Amino acid sequence: MRVLIVEDERRLAENVARALRESAGYAIDMAFDGEEGLFMAGSNPYDMIILDLMLPKLDGQTVLHKIRLSGSGVPVLVLTARDEKESVVKLLNAGADDYIAKPFDLGELMARVKALIRRGKGQSAAVLKVGDLEISTSDLTVRRKGKPVNLTAMEYRVLEYLAHRPGAVVSKTELLEHLYDFNWERFSNVIEVYISGLRRKLDDAGDSKLIHTLRGQGYMLRA
Amino acid sequence: MPRTSIQRRLIAAVVISQLLLAVALASVAVYFTWRQLREAFDSQLRGRAMTIAALVRYSEEEHPRLIFEDDMVPPSLEKDHTDLYEVRGSDGHLIARSPDWPADLKPTPRKNHPHANFDLAGVDYRAVFLEKLPVLDREPDIPPGDVLNVIYAAPTEEMTRAVIFAGAGIAVGSMILLAITAVLSVWALRRSLQPLAELAGSASAISTANWELNPSDAARETMELAPLTQAMTTMLSGLHRAFDQQREFLANAAHELKTPVAILKSTLQSLLQRPRETEEYRAGLEQALEDMARLEKLLHSMLRLARAEQWAAGSVRRDLEVIEVASTCQSAIDRLAPIARERNVSIELNKDGAMPIRADAEDLELVWANLVENAIRFTPEGGRVQVRLHANNGNGIVEVEDNGPGMSHDELAHIFERFHRGDSSRARETGGYGLGLAISKALVEAYGGTIKADSTPGQGTRMNVSLPLRT
Repeated sequence: MRVLIVEDERRLAENVARALRESAGYAIDMAFDGEEGLFMAGSNPYDMIILDLMLPKLDGQTVLHKIRLSGSGVPVLVLTARDEKESVVKLLNAGADDYIAKPFDLGELMARVKALIRRGKGQSAAVLKVGDLEISTSDLTVRRKGKPVNLTAMEYRVLEYLAHRPGAVVSKTELLEHLYDFNWERFSNVIEVYISGLRRKLDDAGDSKLIHTLRGQGYMLRA
Repeated sequence: MPRTSIQRRLIAAVVISQLLLAVALASVAVYFTWRQLREAFDSQLRGRAMTIAALVRYSEEEHPRLIFEDDMVPPSLEKDHTDLYEVRGSDGHLIARSPDWPADLKPTPRKNHPHANFDLAGVDYRAVFLEKLPVLDREPDIPPGDVLNVIYAAPTEEMTRAVIFAGAGIAVGSMILLAITAVLSVWALRRSLQPLAELAGSASAISTANWELNPSDAARETMELAPLTQAMTTMLSGLHRAFDQQREFLANAAHELKTPVAILKSTLQSLLQRPRETEEYRAGLEQALEDMARLEKLLHSMLRLARAEQWAAGSVRRDLEVIEVASTCQSAIDRLAPIARERNVSIELNKDGAMPIRADAEDLELVWANLVENAIRFTPEGGRVQVRLHANNGNGIVEVEDNGPGMSHDELAHIFERFHRGDSSRARETGGYGLGLAISKALVEAYGGTIKADSTPGQGTRMNVSLPLRT
């Protein structure tokens, strides 16, 4: 998953980014003002955006409005220092999917981020199920037929992304865009390495094939 | 302490003055009644004495020749009557007297006053003395010469009773009038004090949610209440302003504290997210300390502002020494030199003459540091900040000018507001919280000075501080 944090307090953005990278394995990009945030939101396919309201150059409200005007339905979690009812109502009406008031609890923030990503992809349970495969997004564990499967961090990320959209064809480019932030180098063949690793660990344990390759199009997770 | 009542005091004053008036009026009335009655009594006495004198005749055969015809006495002198009389001749010999005239009774008239009062067996008498009355029944051949001295006395009991009766009547009348005025004045007072009670009612409706004093029409139209209503309205609007200011400051402060707290909290929580190496913990704790330092800086600034505003409001007195403005400027500039070097901004200080002022050096240094730091922030790399000092009409003028991009008119109007951050991108980069100019303004005003800013977009901003110098 790839998440954009738009927050002018660098330290806060870094703390949130670190927490999401470490505990959810997400790829995180950061923008430190409204203009930069809007530009990045428009030029990369994010799975969700964390947006601060008090931003230099372009305030969060305007950034949110412009993102929605561009037709994007990306889930947006708003960070606000105000928790008065009116401003919350205004925010939600303006297209925010959720909000969290500062000073927030990092655990709560991450739970909300994960929930928003799931819902953004049409899933609402914290445990994703594809056939006899279970992926728990809260503690990043994978089981097949009830038996735990040990994956590397990147293998997990690839699998989680595919599991959020079971039955859909996901291209290699899409995977690259959603699993890597700007700080990482991209090689398209790394995806193939992870896919083969996943196949070995998952399919060897079960009978049916879960990860399907569609030549020239991409991959698909299906029971 | 016992409470005093205006109403009770006014009523008491009215009643007491009425009472005094009634007593004075009654006394005068009784006195004149008594005078009138006594005059009437006296003329009655004189008339009766003349009648007695008329009963004296000459007699041929007796000696002395004057006789009293006591079979002719008027009914008022018949037996069982209480009047008394005595008639004597010019040589002093007794001609006649009442049968019950006591032997030892010798009334004497007062000087120039032919009357006397005496007491006879417990009864008050008043007597009239008529001297040298002619004998009316005069023989033609007898030469005139014999005259009469008559004393006539009657009890004054009836007259006294009449005076007492008249006095009592007047007293009762005054009392009734007094009672009526007392009732009327209580009623009138209650009525005229009603607007005061109404004003108190509207005053008690004031709360932190309702600052509007709505006096009733009666209270509004009462002339005596106008200064009170006016004072209350002024006081309320002052309180309202102060209250709103405090509330706004508190809200702003709470709001501004949220971000540094959020940073600190997230730093610590992300550190606890999973087991880490000792080095990672150390780095994390150092980060937390840095976050803490920012929080502390903000708190320090807020306290500084609150204190400066207290001084500006004059609620605290301080003993201050005379210092030189230029030296505080110099130390502020020295303090900021590293930042200026880092941003490649030059600072020039031009001073002209001595500028002694009674102030705290640290306060002034903070004012200049805030202004110069702002100027450095708002000046692009390679820019120039000028600090100029000169005295003018007993005021020390300090100007801080930069050649940065300047500010719009709208922007200028807000720069002294607390927690205001212009284009906050630049302010945040250097960790500003939008309190510097508010603190500077409060401090300058605490020393009786003024601060203003003007700016030409594209050319720069100039801050102008004027402080009264010690002369």
